[in-house]
Parts: sequence; structure tokens; C-alpha cells
Amino acid sequence: MNRALPEMLHCLSGPGNGTDITVLERQRTRVKWQHQEQQNYFVGNFQDLVGDGRCGSVLRHVVTHSVKPDPGFEMNSTITRTSSCPHTEAQVAPEAKGKVSEPAEKMSSTVGRESYKKRKADKVQNTKVVAEDDAKDKRSKVCAEEGESKITTEQTRTKNTTTHPNNRETSADTSRENSKASEVQKPDYIHVRARRGQATDSHSLAERVRREKISERMKYLQDLVPGCNKVTGKAGMLDEIINYVQSLQRQVEFLSMKLATVNPRLDFNIEDLFAKEIFPACSANFPTIGSSSEMTNPAYLQINPAQQMVACCGLEMGVNTPDLMALRRTISAPVSLPETYFDASCFTQLQPPSTWDADLQNLFNLDSNQGRSISFPSQPFTGSIEASNLKMET
Amino acid sequence: MRNPSLIKEEFLKRWIIALRRCTSLKKNMNILERNKVVKLSADLAMASARNGTTSWSRALIANATRDNDNRILAEQILGPESEILVKRVSTMPFKTCNRRKIRSKRILKRSCSSAIRRVRKTVPRKVLANCIAKRLIQKRTHILKSLVPGGEFMDETTLMEETLDYIAYLRVQVDVMRSCTYC
Repeated sequence: MNRALPEMLHCLSGPGNGTDITVLERQRTRVKWQHQEQQNYFVGNFQDLVGDGRCGSVLRHVVTHSVKPDPGFEMNSTITRTSSCPHTEAQVAPEAKGKVSEPAEKMSSTVGRESYKKRKADKVQNTKVVAEDDAKDKRSKVCAEEGESKITTEQTRTKNTTTHPNNRETSADTSRENSKASEVQKPDYIHVRARRGQATDSHSLAERVRREKISERMKYLQDLVPGCNKVTGKAGMLDEIINYVQSLQRQVEFLSMKLATVNPRLDFNIEDLFAKEIFPACSANFPTIGSSSEMTNPAYLQINPAQQMVACCGLEMGVNTPDLMALRRTISAPVSLPETYFDASCFTQLQPPSTWDADLQNLFNLDSNQGRSISFPSQPFTGSIEASNLKMET
Repeated sequence: MRNPSLIKEEFLKRWIIALRRCTSLKKNMNILERNKVVKLSADLAMASARNGTTSWSRALIANATRDNDNRILAEQILGPESEILVKRVSTMPFKTCNRRKIRSKRILKRSCSSAIRRVRKTVPRKVLANCIAKRLIQKRTHILKSLVPGGEFMDETTLMEETLDYIAYLRVQVDVMRSCTYC
């Protein structure tokens, strides 16, 4: 049975894929082994590291020279940390934010943590998360510090066999590391580290992980939804998001209705396809539209500013020229009913087109005016308008 | 985030193809039908553009194919890929487990509300404020879930992701449709 552990650990680390599961297994097996035989554990851990192929000859030397049971275990933990720290340092830079972490790093941290907890006679935590902050740099520096201090102290330690400095060192390190976090990419198990002064039971840890994920996504949403920057707190942001989604959906409905009315045969030119593709080139025409709009029919004056705002707020700016051309074409066309939907009051609050916010406000006004202006359509559309009105109210 | 102009082009292509397919089916539709067709085709176009990678797209397709009236139309719109898509969508374990979830959630809500009523009188203000904040958030997430297609059956983290995606899609749709109407 003494041989079983190293082999077990070795074959666990073999596939190299289920890193998280194997780390957990490793943890468990190590806890068992601590009580039995430190030496074998030590060797097993060493084999483990070699199996990972990370620590190499330096570790081997160090490990073989320090052959003591209990301090050997601590040394082992410190060694793993020292050897893996430079690795984490090197890899911290190219890493994407909070996405990848190494098995060695995890392992070392779990081992370190274990030793710490063993001192404190705590129970081993099953779920730990090592989530990465912007304090990545800080951690790498600290790691370097730790590394140096560790190496120097470790050399002296080969002669002394006191456990106390070890204890202090490890506890200091773990407490320093406790204030940082890093996230695992594809967790089957999520490894969380309890921060200083926070509850350590698995439920609250899992809860915290969940909360962090949600807040991360909220940040993305903040960038996407306009006007979310001013609001802080989940409830306010959720409110903004809901309003935005609702307004977008209403816009879609309105536009589809408009399309259906304007285009009885539902045939669209391929011209507009091409027009879209020359978007970026059209952005230069933007300032000319302001002047040209005054020349057109006053009924269309209301539309142009909207277009302008839409154009610059939307994802591309080049909608202008095809729209303007289309406008000129449609001036002569008899169908102008959808334009009557645009109440004059919608656009009295026009500001220089700069933000999606303003556009949104206008559309809100538009939507509110929908209810009012719907009452004056021409005959063929009454039935449909009531239907659409109903739809929009819901 | 994906390039918005690429998404737009993709959407526009699919939409126009879908519309053409619809119009080839039935020549003279009245306005309501046209409205429906336009919306449906737009939805399905975008949903198929995502190829079933996101949950809301699957939900959209599922909803569209659920009613028998829409089903034929939807399948026509989706075209030859429809079978694959519909299969992928139907393999998602949507309906059965979620009814159980919904039932259990309702029971939980009822029990919670009664517990809160009891607690409210004896509890200090801070905790009360906390409770109120939580309730607000819960209400709003519930509303958001009703807005995003297929959102009822998700937990919060996935809901956020789906909302992100859905917002991007809605924006694209609005832009495309708006530029289409002005042509």
C-alpha cells in the first residue's frame, strides 16, 4: 500500500486533462497519507511534480537533499511553492485575465493551504477557488519575494529541524495569498480560496464565486447598455437593462409593422445590401445631410434628424446616403403614411446627435406618442393599426 | 465581441432569403400576415445565424415550431437546414424538467413570502433594507427572464450571458430593419 500512492498520483497526473479532479483527489490522498508515512508522501508528491514536467532537476536536487519526515513535508510544500512561483510569474503575463491557471500552481497552493490548515487543525476544504484579480502583478512580485526568502531559508533549514519558522512562514504566505484570487478556466470543481476575515464553509464560498461571475457579466452589460454607467448596484442596472431590451423589442415590432405597410410585396432591393457594404465610405457625407434636409419637405425634416442620430448612434455611420436618396425618391411616392406616425413633438427635443441615449429617448417619446398618433390614420390601416397598438401595449 | 458589420451582413442575407421563400409561398397577404411573416423571418434568420449555440436562439426556434400554424412556415423559412436545427433544438431538455422547477419555485415563493411576513415586524432596519433590495432584484430578474426568449429556465449567470447576446442581436435587427425601411 505504500507504493500505491505514488503510482496512483502518477497515473492521476498522467492524462493531464482532468486537472481539477485530480488535484482534489490528490488532496484527499495526501491527507490520508500524512498520517501514515510522510516520506512516501514526499516521494509521491515529488513524482507528481516530475510527472507534470514542470519542476525538473532543481527540485530533484533540493528534494533529495532534505530528507526529514515532518519538516520534510513542510519543506516540500515550500519547495513546491518556490518552484512553481517563477512559473506562475512567467505565465502570468501572457495569461488572459482570470482565465487560465496551472495545475502546479494550484497544487502548490492547495498543498500550502493544507499545511496551513493542518497546523490550525482545520478540516480540509473541498471547494477552493483561486481567482485572479488585477492584483496579478502584486502577486507575482510577492511570489518572487517569497521565492527568494524561501530559497534562503530553506537552505538553512536543511540543517535545522525546527517547525516553528516553517509554521510562521507558511502561515504568513498563505495569509498573503489569501487576499488574492484567480479563476480556473473549466472547472469541474471550482477551487476557491477563502479571503481573510471571511467565512470558509463551502456554501458561502460557492456563493461568492457565483456572485463574482454575475458581477463580471454585469460589467460587460454595462458597456453594452447605454446609460448604465451612471447607475450602480444590481437593481438599478437590471432596471436599465430591462428598459433597454423592452425598447429594442418595441422598435423591432414597430419597424416590422412599418416594413409590412410600406412594402406590400415584401421585396427588398439588393441595392440596399450593397449600400450597407459601402458604409465606412459614407461617413464623410454626414455633415452635408444637415443642410440638405432643410431643402426637403418639412414632413421629412423630422425624419432626417432621426436618421442622423440613428446613423451615428448605430453601429455604422454610412446609412445616410442611401437613406437620403431614398427620401428623395419617396418624396414623389404616394405612400407616406408611416411618416405621419412621427409626431412633431417627438423631435422638438433634438440635441446634437451624439449618443444612443438621445436616440433612445426619442424613441421612447415615439413609443409614447404612438398611442396618441395612432388615432389619425387613414382608413385602410385602421384595423391593422389597432392590432399593432394592442401588440405594442403588451 | 464579434464584428457587428459581419453580423449585420449575415443577418441581412438570411433575412432576405427567408422573406423570399415566404413570398413565394403566398402571394397576396394582408397586412397582419405580412407583419407576422416579417417578424418571424427576422427572428428565425438571426436564430439560425447563431446555429443553436446560444440558448435564446434555440428557444426562439422552439417557440416558432411549436404551434402548428407557424410550423410549416417556419420550416419553409429555415429551408433545408431546418431539420438539423429543429432536431438540435428538440434535444434540449426544455420542457419537462422546467415544469418541475417552476412548480417547486412557486411553492418556495409562497413559503418565503409567508415567512417574510412573520419576520418583518421583529427585524432591525438594516436587515429589512437588505430584504427589500433582494426582493427588488428578484422581481427584476423575473421580468428580464420573461423578456429574453427561453430565459425562464436559466440561472442568473447564464441569463446574463444570454441577455448580452440577445441585446446585440436586437440591435443588429433594428439597424438592418431601419435601413431597409428607408429604401
